[in-house]
Amino acid sequence: MMQHNRAYLWFIAPALILMFVILLLPIFIAAGMSLTDYSLGNSGAEFVGLENYEKIFTRSTYAKMFGATFRYVFVVVPLTVGLGLGAALLINSLKRFGDLYKTIYFLPVMAALIAMAIVWEFAFHPTIGIINATLEHGCGTFLEGWSWYAKGCARTFPLWLTDRNYAIWTVSFIGIWQGFGFNMVLYLAGLTSIPRDLYHAAEMDGAQSNWDRFRLVTWPMLGPTTVFVITISMIRSFQVFDTVEAFYPQGGGPSKSVYVMMFAIYEKAIQQNLMGIGAAITMVFLGFVLVLTLLQRWLVERRTHYA
Amino acid sequence: MQKLTTAIALVLCAGSAMAEDKVTIEFAYPYSHLFDVTYENILPKFYEAHPDIEVKFRATYENYEDANNTILREAVANELPDVTMQGLNRQAILVDKGIAKSLEPFIADEADFAKEGYHKAMLDLGTFDDAVYGLPFSISLPVGYYNMEVMAKAGITSEDQLPKTWDEVIGTCQKLTEAGVDNPMFWGWNITGNWFLQALMWSQDTPTVIGNDFNLDSPEGLKALETMKALFDGCDMQNIEWKAALSSFSAGEIGMMFWSTSAVGAVERSMGDFTLVTHEFPGIAASGPMGLPAGGNAAMLTSTSEDPAVQAAAWEWLKFITSGEGAADVARTTGYMPPNQAANDIILKDFYAENPAKATAVRQLPLLRDWQAYPGDNGLAATQVIYDGLEGIVTREFDDMSELQEQLSEEVQDLLD
Repeated sequence: MMQHNRAYLWFIAPALILMFVILLLPIFIAAGMSLTDYSLGNSGAEFVGLENYEKIFTRSTYAKMFGATFRYVFVVVPLTVGLGLGAALLINSLKRFGDLYKTIYFLPVMAALIAMAIVWEFAFHPTIGIINATLEHGCGTFLEGWSWYAKGCARTFPLWLTDRNYAIWTVSFIGIWQGFGFNMVLYLAGLTSIPRDLYHAAEMDGAQSNWDRFRLVTWPMLGPTTVFVITISMIRSFQVFDTVEAFYPQGGGPSKSVYVMMFAIYEKAIQQNLMGIGAAITMVFLGFVLVLTLLQRWLVERRTHYA
Repeated sequence: MQKLTTAIALVLCAGSAMAEDKVTIEFAYPYSHLFDVTYENILPKFYEAHPDIEVKFRATYENYEDANNTILREAVANELPDVTMQGLNRQAILVDKGIAKSLEPFIADEADFAKEGYHKAMLDLGTFDDAVYGLPFSISLPVGYYNMEVMAKAGITSEDQLPKTWDEVIGTCQKLTEAGVDNPMFWGWNITGNWFLQALMWSQDTPTVIGNDFNLDSPEGLKALETMKALFDGCDMQNIEWKAALSSFSAGEIGMMFWSTSAVGAVERSMGDFTLVTHEFPGIAASGPMGLPAGGNAAMLTSTSEDPAVQAAAWEWLKFITSGEGAADVARTTGYMPPNQAANDIILKDFYAENPAKATAVRQLPLLRDWQAYPGDNGLAATQVIYDGLEGIVTREFDDMSELQEQLSEEVQDLLD
């Protein structure tokens, strides 16, 4: 009897041990490290308490880090979700070529972002890039009536990537371009699971216009999908790194305006070997992701069950 | 294509190495856009002289910060290359941490080391606690690059009319702007994040770091920052990434570029149809700069191999690239000066007469000063703070230079203590 009782341990132990070693232990180590001033290559480190965290919440550099991260997240998430939903609805309403559009919109998701970043870097080159070169063709036409445009014609169009007023929005734009195809696929999956009967029932109840059908059936039925899509988009946006590293290997953009959290972790821990502060930023980052995940669970359990 | 052939050659060599029992050493260097050609020239000569040694190239470092940091990481992972090229101001930390090996035992074994052209002033750049740890490979100084066709629009047609002070540079910028030049000047504040700041400090005969003290909080420090601001404002300089700036200058779009002499070779190879002239780095005072920081890199031995054959092979490679024909190739392919008397006197005697663009830095040699390190574990972080501060002047984030001076001094000092 006793033997039978213990047998289950053999089945769950491998999973538990792996989870502990691969997932939990590194987090504990990082948490411990974040309380020290450990620098890679040193034989020891000193315990500094919460000093690293204090730096994160008081120094202007880290204020810029939060600013850049939140700007990116709050621009990219709504737009990738909105565009993803829009594209999914449009494709769903098509009778032909749906697969073609799906492929086209999904292409940027499949492409390696770091390679795409190099392509965008060429496109955004201040003088010979295709974007500013195209804008220059508009000089001398009615467009010059727009003062922003006239200013561009007078000297050069914006340095999209290295002007601190534009950099974060340019990087966000690339994030949106790259990300909305993924959300579109998730929404398409969500749309196929909506029973046709609901639309028929709604029509009988007087929902005549497309808008009514969307408002009364599609949108509520997509609730669970939306919560998932928003959460995953947020986590992905918090994790943005490759474009920043490709465009700004040193410094995180003009005046640190694109200094997102992942890049800050990389810069401190990998580029400058300052493991202590790098680990502290990692813990803050984990905190954000944890809050988001808990929020998602709470929302899912609370009000998105219709089926 | 050339790279591919080299790669194939390396693979083939690696294959034959097994058969002939060659000694293989590993090697890594920074700035591939400057040095790829140099090593492509040196390697066949080295193989001719040492057919029993095989040099395996690792992936190049992006810049000196990356070079330093990669070595620190590789030291922890126990994956060090046998020889590494490090920025002159990044050697100290590797000596402190015991990663770089002293070269004294090897030098002691050399019968006539001084005759190979290694003289004291140059060896000093790699000497720590009276022992040589690094053999300087390439030395650079800041110089002015001028596109004479563009400069003609400001009425400057001969070399002696080129600006001698930063005020004159600003004046020239204004003339160029009036003549319709969009980008009159680019100033290399972003070279390794702090080199040009040290250039403006040494210009006033003031060190940037004294002991553990960051010396920006001096009147000279404020003057340096204000000079930068005046330049960026007066020339309406845009915040262009440095690679884009080099390509714009090579394309003939920029009139004046202040940059390290190291890029002369690269610019000459890629430039369009215009007359390139280099000239002395302007000064804050009319008499010109009183000193300039030496840029460049040194070869350090980081081998962890116990095998004396590998150590000896690493030393041969180290010696070959820093003396004689190896060192001469540095001058031929880049804008750097070889820090080796023999290479300068014998092999390169006529070279500078034929390549005046590369001679400016040689004329400035008497001004050569130390490229100072930021001591301690936070050296790289301190450099980044300076970089961010200087970038803030270019992006017009900071308007009040005394405020910036205070902020930078505080933050950097905090990291050095």
